Amino acid sequence: MIAFMILGALALVGAIITIAAKNAVHAALGLVGTLLSVAGLFASLNASFLAATQVIVYAGAIMVLFLFVIMLLNANQPISGRDPVPFVRELAGIGGVILAGALAVLALTYRDPRPLAEGAQALRGGGAGPVGEVLLTRFLLPFEAVSILLLVAIVGAVALVQRPVPQSDGVPDTEAVSLPLPGTEREEVRA
Amino acid sequence: MAPTSYYVALSGLLFAIGMIGVLTRRTAIMVFLSVELMLNAANLALVAFARSWGDLTAQTAVFIVMTLAAAEVAIGLAIIVAIFRKRETTNVDDLATLKG
Repeated sequence: MIAFMILGALALVGAIITIAAKNAVHAALGLVGTLLSVAGLFASLNASFLAATQVIVYAGAIMVLFLFVIMLLNANQPISGRDPVPFVRELAGIGGVILAGALAVLALTYRDPRPLAEGAQALRGGGAGPVGEVLLTRFLLPFEAVSILLLVAIVGAVALVQRPVPQSDGVPDTEAVSLPLPGTEREEVRA
Repeated sequence: MAPTSYYVALSGLLFAIGMIGVLTRRTAIMVFLSVELMLNAANLALVAFARSWGDLTAQTAVFIVMTLAAAEVAIGLAIIVAIFRKRETTNVDDLATLKG
């Protein structure tokens, strides 16, 4: 209970830093704090394999990728200027409060189908063994589909950031190319 | 052992914060960070329900969501880099040419 309070408060602080920070690097670091707190919450929910995966994949790999791109694009300065949509901040705040309220009401009216200790015991600690057992029997098809998706994502990312290949049309790139007018085409070619 | 409803309420708060971030931030990368926050809120709720029902299926679903998020980030950041090379900006308001 105390662990939930501390980790939950840290997660909320990190989330607020993420959306409020002026500097994008600070926002990314706030998100790292949230991800680590969520990993701790996973551990407190009998999901030790997911806690480890959260730290390695999310807080490690994905956030490093984010920081890399932020620094590569030099995008750590905020964009200022007038909002194209009027009252967007107010509307987002009202929408967020309504959504949070609705979800909180739903959460607090939720009743567990059986005692928590019993359910926690059925998870067998959520280690790599039990999770892998479910993953490779009941979820075999989604598992394989995800592996294909990752392959497609890697190939797509490489293809997207590739520089365009120069066309070998015999025209030097420094020479200005002007299309001839329809009537003068033949003379231009001969000349 | 904290009750399931506390975890779900925390997940709802995180999701709402992420939604506010998606709506208010102007940089495409910041919008992506907020989307990651929303995905994590959903994962937290799934793991809380897994303990509540005593079933590992939801934890497996969280694993698959994490993989999907990794793929989404790889493709999304590649698209952002490609757009930045062409347009020299990541402001989502300037990139609204497909709005119809």
